[in-house]
Amino acid sequence: MGRAPLASRVIELDDSLEAVETYFLEQDWTDGLPIVPPTPPRVEAMLAGIDAEPELVVGKIPPLWGEATVEKVAINAVMAGCRPAALPVLVAALEAMLDPTFNLYGIQATTHPVAPLVIVNGPAGARLGMHAGSGLFGPGNPANATLGRAVRLSLWNLGGARPGAGDMATQGSPAKYSYAIAEREDANPWAPLHVSRGFGADESVVTVFGGEGPHNVNDHVSQRAPNLLAVVADTAVTLGSNVGWYLTQSQLLVVFGPEHAATIAADGFSRADVQRYLYEHARLRLGTRKLGGMWGLQDWPAWMACVDDAALLPTVSSPDDILVMVAGGPGKHSAVVPNCCFSRAVSRAVTRWPG
Amino acid sequence: MTTTAFEALARHEAHTLGMEGLPLLVIPHPLGGEPPERVAARAAAAVAQLAARLGR
Repeated sequence: MGRAPLASRVIELDDSLEAVETYFLEQDWTDGLPIVPPTPPRVEAMLAGIDAEPELVVGKIPPLWGEATVEKVAINAVMAGCRPAALPVLVAALEAMLDPTFNLYGIQATTHPVAPLVIVNGPAGARLGMHAGSGLFGPGNPANATLGRAVRLSLWNLGGARPGAGDMATQGSPAKYSYAIAEREDANPWAPLHVSRGFGADESVVTVFGGEGPHNVNDHVSQRAPNLLAVVADTAVTLGSNVGWYLTQSQLLVVFGPEHAATIAADGFSRADVQRYLYEHARLRLGTRKLGGMWGLQDWPAWMACVDDAALLPTVSSPDDILVMVAGGPGKHSAVVPNCCFSRAVSRAVTRWPG
Repeated sequence: MTTTAFEALARHEAHTLGMEGLPLLVIPHPLGGEPPERVAARAAAAVAQLAARLGR
């Protein structure tokens, strides 16, 4: 039995790429970059990549609450340049973002420069051709670039997250164009991220993390885990960061470069050891917090405001709020991705594969 | 209640949710980083706006 016909409106335009680009820009349907015209055959081909009916409602996308059917998501995936294999991952990512724990409304509308980082684990990474090596946060890999862009276009067109309107980010972030990566599971001396979050190693899982852009951790000299982790901890806490002000919603993602991960693991540090070390060392003094930032607006356990100004205060509620993964190529760099402090990471299995 | 910078977002969302005529109490932007006396002045102005909307 074939699929139901497409429900979306068909727009007749001159048969030229320029005419389509101009029209879509005029309608404010793009991120400013050229798009692949979402013709009905292309949308049909995209829908063949997922085991779901086009009319299935994934959810309503804040802040303007547009209904995200699988068909509407597929249209945005075509526009972003995705291959059909990406659609089940894109839908799972949107489902994860619509979990109330993620607080997509806050992420879309805030003045903070937060963007949903999509992390793909398990067989889906290879299935889509995603990149987890050198320069993975940057340009060059079509699967990473188009998956992240499809997320953005869905949030833009279905959620109305346009700068100064639905998206009130004071300055925004380049991560709002596209922010999707995979993990170097082969280079992770510990369990992959999705396994640490309760999934099987052979499951395809997408994790969404409401993060700032990656903050670089440069360490070319440390040969012992504590030294290297001290540099990571220092990168993880800055007075200008949101993390640490709303403590129960604060999380840090640490993306260790493979060489840094190997150095730490060689000293016998487990993932839990890494999390514990960073929890204990990624701290600011109360007196430093009082200098500015969000002082007076914080949401802390009562004890944190009753201690001496010299007391070192935690940045997250527990070691488990420090997510650890491995990605990147050769070199002595890692990254810390602070979250926005009003969202928590959500993971979802990717299950809607066709056939 | 919203600041002027967020008024358009608030009105757009009220429209989307079918509450076109939702009365909004709008105060000058920003609120954060303002000294207490200016915050107090905005609160006083907000009370006056609220009273007007309640017809008092």
